[in-house]
Amino acid sequence: MKKLLIVDDSSMMRQTIEQNLGDYELEIVGTAGNGKEALEMVQDKKPDVVTLDITMPEMDGLDCLEKMMKIAPETRVMIITALSDKLTGLEALKKGAREYLYKPVTHEDLREGFDLLLNKK
Amino acid sequence: MDTQQEQFEKTVNVFINSVDNYFTYLTKQSVSTSAPYVKDANEVMLKECTGMIGISGNKKGFIYISGGMDMYRDLIKTYVGLDNPSTNDMLDMAGELSNVVAGNVRQTYSNEFMITVPIVFQGSPTKLKFPDDVPIYVIPIKWNQHEAYMVIGLK
Repeated sequence: MKKLLIVDDSSMMRQTIEQNLGDYELEIVGTAGNGKEALEMVQDKKPDVVTLDITMPEMDGLDCLEKMMKIAPETRVMIITALSDKLTGLEALKKGAREYLYKPVTHEDLREGFDLLLNKK
Repeated sequence: MDTQQEQFEKTVNVFINSVDNYFTYLTKQSVSTSAPYVKDANEVMLKECTGMIGISGNKKGFIYISGGMDMYRDLIKTYVGLDNPSTNDMLDMAGELSNVVAGNVRQTYSNEFMITVPIVFQGSPTKLKFPDDVPIYVIPIKWNQHEAYMVIGLK
């Protein structure tokens, strides 16, 4: 069972993501509403997989991702964001994200994202 | 029609496409819009539940989407699957809707179009004040029989 951390400042989005985990061997070890909380949870809970929003208060997802890759570079990160420009997507991939989903995301999009994220080596 | 007006109308269309895409993609029900109009300085275009985003970069201003609780309740039921969302859930959904509509505009304007995290509020806050030097356009929208406003102030 892999450990999952869900990071999004919207509780509705966190719930939507949680609803699509039934087919995966993932245990939710925490949820966070900003990058700062997320980093604390990464250090404390050591998740294998993280879903990460970008536009969040206190610390945004890109800053969080950069710091996360320094302390836990093996973490598989899937960005789920409304920022739909290519440059931001490329920046996230350069910083270490493995997958990138543009909001709005359907339940099918989320499952496809998890399929790709968990099957990648 | 002057160039500035044409540019603004293009921007408004980008936002209209973005809000339509949000609802159509997630709920399979499209949005209908009425003709945009300029808001009077003292006109308050707010419904029960509002999500507002600040915009900076090469364009400056704000966008908000304001709708009734019933609209957000239906959206949450359709998308998240919750039958009885709390007021906080509906405010959260209002913020997320505005965030996605504004964030998707970057597909057209790239990362020079910067957005803040959403501010959400219920009703009509007394301290809400709009800038005097920015034209404010109101776009009435209707989704699933629910009427809402998308309001854009940009320069």
